[in-house]
Amino acid sequence: MHTSPAKLLILIALSLVILVEGRTVLAFFGINIPPLETALIGLVVIATLVIWAIRPLRGSPTKSE
Amino acid sequence: MRIHQYEKLWIVGAMILIVGFIVTITYGSVGLGITMIGDEEETIAPDELNDDEQFGEPRVEQVGENEYAAYVVAQTFIFQPDPIEIPANNEITFHVTSRDVIHGFYVPGTNINAMAIPGQVAELTVEFDEPGEHGLICHEYCGSGHHTMEGLIVVQPEDEFDLTELSAETPDTVTSGEQVQLNATVENGQLEPLETTVDAEIGDQTFQQNITVDGNSTQDVTFTAESTQLGVGEHDWTVTVDDYEETGSVEVVSNETAAAEGGEES
Amino acid sequence: MTALFVDEYPAEARLVKAAFLSSFIAFGIGALFGIIQALHRTDIFRFIDSIKYYTVLTGHGVFLVIAFTIFFLVGLYQWAVTDSLERGSVDIRFTWLWYGLMAIGSLLAGISILAGFLDQPPMVLGSELRANVLFTFYAPLEANPLYYIGLALFLVGTWLAGIDWFRTWWAWRDENPGKRIPLRTFMVLTTMIMFFLGSIGVIVSILVFILPWSLEITESLNPLLTRTLFWFFGHMIVYFWLLPAYLLWYSVLPKLSGGRLFSDPLARVVFILFVLLSTPVGIHHQYMDPGIAEGFKFIAMTNTMFLLLPSFLTAFTVVASMEHGARQRGGEGRFNWLRALPWRNPAFTGMALAGLIFAFGGFTGIVNAGMNINYLVHNALWIPGHIHAQVGTATALTLMAGSYWLVPQLTGNRLVGRQVALFQVVLWFVGIVFMTNSMFRAGLVGVPRRTAEPQYQGFDYDVGVGSMGELNAQLALGGTLLFISAMLFLVLMLLTVFNNDSEPIVDGTLPPALSGPEDSPQVLDNLRLWFGIAFALVVLAYALPLAGIAAQSGLFGQDIQPFPVSSEAVIYFQFGLEYVGAFVT
Ligand SMILES: [Cu+2]
Repeated sequence: MHTSPAKLLILIALSLVILVEGRTVLAFFGINIPPLETALIGLVVIATLVIWAIRPLRGSPTKSE
Repeated sequence: MRIHQYEKLWIVGAMILIVGFIVTITYGSVGLGITMIGDEEETIAPDELNDDEQFGEPRVEQVGENEYAAYVVAQTFIFQPDPIEIPANNEITFHVTSRDVIHGFYVPGTNINAMAIPGQVAELTVEFDEPGEHGLICHEYCGSGHHTMEGLIVVQPEDEFDLTELSAETPDTVTSGEQVQLNATVENGQLEPLETTVDAEIGDQTFQQNITVDGNSTQDVTFTAESTQLGVGEHDWTVTVDDYEETGSVEVVSNETAAAEGGEES
Repeated sequence: MTALFVDEYPAEARLVKAAFLSSFIAFGIGALFGIIQALHRTDIFRFIDSIKYYTVLTGHGVFLVIAFTIFFLVGLYQWAVTDSLERGSVDIRFTWLWYGLMAIGSLLAGISILAGFLDQPPMVLGSELRANVLFTFYAPLEANPLYYIGLALFLVGTWLAGIDWFRTWWAWRDENPGKRIPLRTFMVLTTMIMFFLGSIGVIVSILVFILPWSLEITESLNPLLTRTLFWFFGHMIVYFWLLPAYLLWYSVLPKLSGGRLFSDPLARVVFILFVLLSTPVGIHHQYMDPGIAEGFKFIAMTNTMFLLLPSFLTAFTVVASMEHGARQRGGEGRFNWLRALPWRNPAFTGMALAGLIFAFGGFTGIVNAGMNINYLVHNALWIPGHIHAQVGTATALTLMAGSYWLVPQLTGNRLVGRQVALFQVVLWFVGIVFMTNSMFRAGLVGVPRRTAEPQYQGFDYDVGVGSMGELNAQLALGGTLLFISAMLFLVLMLLTVFNNDSEPIVDGTLPPALSGPEDSPQVLDNLRLWFGIAFALVVLAYALPLAGIAAQSGLFGQDIQPFPVSSEAVIYFQFGLEYVGAFVT
């Protein structure tokens, strides 16, 4: 594990929050991301975070926190 | 008192920010002239609204060159007048009061935003650059029908806008042989005199008269038709001034019928 | 490990538990009403009549911002005073008296609100039992007198609670001459001074004007005056909701982070600033009101801006304390210390996320406070967006997080479902961002607040980005997440209360600040002085506007008829007839 489940949860939450608020900020600059795409980006981000988190650390024994 | 170095910096930064905000707002008020709704207006008791010169008949009125006043009464669950018709590119001063509970006066997405408080009159001046329609809503909870309380502001092109009002009447029935009189009244609410033509039709007879109505005044026009020429029966009439039209009908009754009815009544 | 609060002060712990119980019941009802509103006003699922929406709305306001927050406050403050003075109440019967008054008051007000769901409400005190007047109860909308009586009893109870804590402090002072007031007690006492001063407005409004008028003892009132008196109280109450969260951020959060509070003196300064500034700003809720001169609005605006200062100071102290804690736990680097914080602990994570939302919500508050920018957002959905970020998260989430730490010490039971609790606070955080983001955006295009059906016949909102449907869906999604989170919290609390045969794993001791009270001048503890200055500021800010309003249209207004929400349909109909009659003649 690269991080603890608790931190993973918080990272996912923060990325969702940044996505929602970031989308609003971008809209002020005329960049519109439609809802469906936003949801897709969200899924990709969450998937990436989860894969990163559970990928075993290279060269060190896996240890659970 | 010991204060950490960073904390001192932070406090100074915060104070600069705060003063900056105050300066910005002050600039908005003084520099850009975005004034707040204040206490300039006289108060008015809600139960005296009907007798009030201005709010007794809620309306739009010209008060100067390129200046109009709109007297608006909010009450459960309507605005009066509705729609509020105003010209583009003119200064409009809204005077808003409430007849009953506290209401709101809000055109979504704009700076037109005021509370309508019974007893008080909110005054706000705006100018619309473009003709168009704007929804007007009550944005303060005012009772069970609050969500139905809406009005409309219609901004008309400046050159098409007028404050002309037309009313017309005839008697319901005229005895054959008497004259049919059609009385029309043209009211000009604007300050400049109104030069226009009144067209009228009674049955198949047509009339026309040019008139000049002075600013803020009314003019009466009377058209007369001979009932014998119209003949017994129902006759429609129409009066038109610019885009305004009034219609009605008059019945010409024969002498015998009139006498018979008169007899019945007595 | 030291003795638990419940073992050391069983009598006081019982009261704190009772207060929390009342608070959580109100929280449950309020949350339920919240999701009904989120689904109703977005037209996603409407299963009540739109008239009953206003019953729900009134309940949501009163149960959450009056009952939930203030019951929690009195519980928390009772704990704080007892624990930091290390002594119980002077007379525990008096303590129960104020709790009883608050409980009866909220029951009366609650019943009169809930009666709005009945089609045939009973007659009470000469009128139908209803109170669809929202928690701001602007006259001449009129509720049943029972509603006002309930609110008044609740307020009296809260006053007595303050007096009780002062008595405890006086007793402690006699036993400990020359000692500085312990920080948590200082926070309690200053909060209550602020409350005494600010609540004068609403107490006068209810007892002198609205209640006699609703009982038909007086015939008329001045709607602008009662409204102004409400807001005299109405902004102070915002800080009354917030300061319990501040108390937790200052006293518990540093400890949870693994360290201690950065500076005790600055914490005192912050609370004193709230005493001084939180009342003479109320007129900033009335920027759009006629009858109040622009100058007074300007004064309220500048005062409000200075009120940002204590919150800026708090942001610094809280973050600095967290960093200190993280470094104690081995955190390093400029930002990497963040990783060393105890994110697994729901109490810590909840408070930290609440603080984050508070900072963001603070900036939306600056928009509200800017008097000419306020034209854009006054009474638009932007405002509830701001409220839900501040009291709905900065306060509510901190209180929930605080409960995860405090309730085990009050019950002697281990917290059930620590991981679920962590998920719960994070869910709240995500939910509030979804919901408030939608509210802010909808507010900016002019969607009004406080309405059952924001869609109108005559026009559509000019939604620049996205669509109304998208905004609605996002609001409802956020509201649903919040509701699930609230229910999770209540379930965990319930399970914890019944988790009898367990030992809590929580350490109730709070370490002293890095920079203690000895670093601050004695004058900070001179409560009389601060009360005096605060009083003078209130007089300066309010004497002239209030006198002006009373002079304009009289203390009792100009024959203002009541509009009972009880028999609305009939009254409006009669009124309409009269009006049309008058118009025709
Ligand atoms: Cu209304």
